[in-house]
Amino acid sequence: MKNNSLGRAFLLLVIAGAIGYGIGLGIDFSIRGELKLSASVPSAFALLFSFTAFFFGLYGYRGITRGLVFQVVGTVIGAALVTGIRALMGLESIGAFLFTEPAWVFGALVGVISFFFGVGVMTDWVKWARGIDTPDHHEDEPGWQKYFGVSLDHKVIGIQYTVTALFLLAVGGTFALIFRTELAASGLDFLTLDLDVFNQNGPQLYNTLMSLHGMIMIVSILLGISGIMNYVVPLLVGAHDMAFPRMNAFAYWVAVPASVLLLLALILGGFDTGWTGYPPLSSRAPLGVQMFFLGVFTAGWSSILGALNVIATVVRMRARGMTAMRMPILVWASVATSIIALTATQLIGLSFQLVMFQRLFGMGFFDPGKGGNPVLFQHLFWFYSHPAVYVFVLPGLGVISELLPVFVRKPLFGYRWVAMSSLGIALVGFVVWAHHMFTSGMNEYLRVPFMYSTMLVAVPTGVKFFSWVATMWGGKIETPTPMLFVLGSIVVFLLGGVTGPPNAMVALDLHLHDTYWVVGHFHDTIFGGFVFPFFAAIYYWFPKATGRKMNEFWGKVHFWLMTPSFFALTLGMMFIGLRGMRRRIVDYDPALGFDGAHLFLTVCAFLIAISILIFFINFFRSIKHGEPATGNTWNSRSPEWQVPSPMPAHNYEVPFEVVGEPYDYGLPGSKFVEFAAKTAGKH
Amino acid sequence: MSNKQQHPNLLTQGVFIFVYLAVLTALEFFVAVTFNSVVILVAVALVKAALVLWYYMHVNKLSESDESNHEAYAYKSGTNRLGLWLFLVSDSFVFGGLMVMRLSLLGMTRPDLSQTLGFFVTAVLLISSFFMNRGEVELHNGNRQGFLRNTMVTFVLGLFFLLGVILVEWHTVPAIAEPILHLFGEPEGKPLLKASSGPAGAAFFMMTGMHAFHVLTGLILLLIIWVNGKKGLYDEKQYPVEAAAVYWHFIDVVWIFFYPALYLIGTAV
Repeated sequence: MKNNSLGRAFLLLVIAGAIGYGIGLGIDFSIRGELKLSASVPSAFALLFSFTAFFFGLYGYRGITRGLVFQVVGTVIGAALVTGIRALMGLESIGAFLFTEPAWVFGALVGVISFFFGVGVMTDWVKWARGIDTPDHHEDEPGWQKYFGVSLDHKVIGIQYTVTALFLLAVGGTFALIFRTELAASGLDFLTLDLDVFNQNGPQLYNTLMSLHGMIMIVSILLGISGIMNYVVPLLVGAHDMAFPRMNAFAYWVAVPASVLLLLALILGGFDTGWTGYPPLSSRAPLGVQMFFLGVFTAGWSSILGALNVIATVVRMRARGMTAMRMPILVWASVATSIIALTATQLIGLSFQLVMFQRLFGMGFFDPGKGGNPVLFQHLFWFYSHPAVYVFVLPGLGVISELLPVFVRKPLFGYRWVAMSSLGIALVGFVVWAHHMFTSGMNEYLRVPFMYSTMLVAVPTGVKFFSWVATMWGGKIETPTPMLFVLGSIVVFLLGGVTGPPNAMVALDLHLHDTYWVVGHFHDTIFGGFVFPFFAAIYYWFPKATGRKMNEFWGKVHFWLMTPSFFALTLGMMFIGLRGMRRRIVDYDPALGFDGAHLFLTVCAFLIAISILIFFINFFRSIKHGEPATGNTWNSRSPEWQVPSPMPAHNYEVPFEVVGEPYDYGLPGSKFVEFAAKTAGKH
Repeated sequence: MSNKQQHPNLLTQGVFIFVYLAVLTALEFFVAVTFNSVVILVAVALVKAALVLWYYMHVNKLSESDESNHEAYAYKSGTNRLGLWLFLVSDSFVFGGLMVMRLSLLGMTRPDLSQTLGFFVTAVLLISSFFMNRGEVELHNGNRQGFLRNTMVTFVLGLFFLLGVILVEWHTVPAIAEPILHLFGEPEGKPLLKASSGPAGAAFFMMTGMHAFHVLTGLILLLIIWVNGKKGLYDEKQYPVEAAAVYWHFIDVVWIFFYPALYLIGTAV
């Protein structure tokens, strides 16, 4: 059944893509007066048509399909409206990408809002506003279909988040492979000047892909941590769902139109600003930057509302006896990460919004010619974008602390310190942002305070490392796949951690800034703090979600292929960075002698891609063909493993009470949770 | 009901708080046009915000959680209340960011606007907050008609504020704006503040625009609770009214800071 609909979906994808491309080509021809196959408009139509048709084939005209149709129609209506008004006012009404920039921006906004109504995530709220009551829960369809429509079940939403995150990981990774291929040798050999795709030549396309690699990966990470938190936090605290199930669904579905906008940014002219979008560069970049801003702005709401939900769930819905100091570390980490995401995210939204308005209405916030100040943008931007990396890594570090005791069969060392260190990192994270701006021309007296506050982050982070090492010390270490990834993340994150303080020091940073050293450091922190723990979490909780284990052998192949390649990649990046390789650039002087190193890095990148491909195949195969695992697969003390897998729709049939410490592995007679006696008549 | 005794007191309390706020607003205006001390203006704004947060928005209700049954309406309302306040915390970071933008770009200067008109629209919003509080208390007292009446007054005043900002201050419809601006003492032929003219215009339009967007959403919420309240939906389950009221007061709190930032502190440029 599923294979049939999948085949039909791919067939429709191709047909609709071709039709959309043809329509777009016709429109483009009528504007341009010449036939150009690689222009933006046909590809934009092809993308939107094929996406929509794919989900139509898979799932029919409901849920995500209906949302996408609404988004496309809403975008066109909104853009046409602005175009009409502009025409009436005698302004230019047709642009290089069919619509003018204001029309595209307004249309895209209308499209996003239309998506919500189309997908059906607003239905209950609209009813409430009209005074109609709705049931607390809606029954989901059985089987895989429920993942393509609005579900209020936190476990379904968690899986939706995770799969979307993996999809974006693949997209962002593909972009990286493309520009890594160009970098394999000096000179423009692959993304050449003659290339003309989406109104961009090779180097311009490089800039777009490099910028989008950054932002698509960031959105992927935000969705990935939301996936972990959504799936696991209510289970860990013993809640039947998140505090606000409808808002939870809304927060997920916000991310879908946002992802579409980010992909449109590539097609509609791209942008050459890097993921940071600094003005004045971004105030004169092509149209793509507006789609990028709007996409990030929209995705930000997903993060904010998801964080709000996590905090409310943890504060209000914990099981009996789960006092603050008996909460699992992952719950502490989720709260810490949510505090940042709830508040600081508004500032990146605001900074991007201000540039959007600067472009649309000529408001000179960051335009020195109009009395504005470009450095102000950097302050607003980094006020989120530095704490953002703690948003990315804190749940991952929580996963490490959560899984480590399970696989070493020992209590977690220094529980209180580890719990508090997450909050410590989050709070210190609010006062370090300007360390990204040592070379920006901001006031010099700000440099040293920010240097010290940055160094301070090492203290709570160090607490976590000491805890992990002490936890492993003398333990009976088992190494199934999840534990391999936990160990991998500790080592990789250590490498990312120790390469951080050099960047924090003003004197060194003036030289290291904008070199590949920073690229290597950054990828170490994010792989150690997010990617490895994310994979660990997927391998670990996969049986809980599906009742089957992922294949151990291929899991180990994934790990042993990815880890050495990744070490080689980032150490190589730092090596050439120290020798003067600038980051973000499409080409480099062959006289620098980096050709060999870059070729090596490109090979490493492809090896990582192969390992991720193995993971994907393993992931999707194991859903149906994995080894059955319905019991306490990892011999964990955590409540979710005390009931059979997969978890039923409203979680625990009988509530549990917390009667002991969460991580007292190996202590005889200790208990973490106790389930209430089942009431008679239930089975 | 044992707490019946308190309810008339709450109405009286609302009047007293309003009087304090009105006196402070007048004092603020007086300070601004005479010796313009930023310290005093900031202090007055903080006191006003604290009064609204405590007496109109009942921030102390957040710590009430005596209910142990997680399925009870009171407990669920408590969860919703926490969610709403978390949202307001998040939202205040937008307004905080806008304030940082304004201070960074303009420093101790301000847009050249009619201070009397600013005082007038501020008064309108403040009075609307008074009626909002009254409506909420009336509903709590079981007086549905009183609730509807006061909510409608709040709505009309809010609409008045919104139109005042968009039509008059933004000068979108010159035929309406010019006579009114003239009434408030603006000389004719004075160059208009435009969004694109410089940092003062950019800051002014962005800040009032973001605030006006929140007023608009607040008005929609007021309309929803008015229509549903008329059907008697909130006679028992009153949390939605509380939520709309808290949101409305939050908009007022934002204006308590934006008003001096845009109309009072520093010198006009």
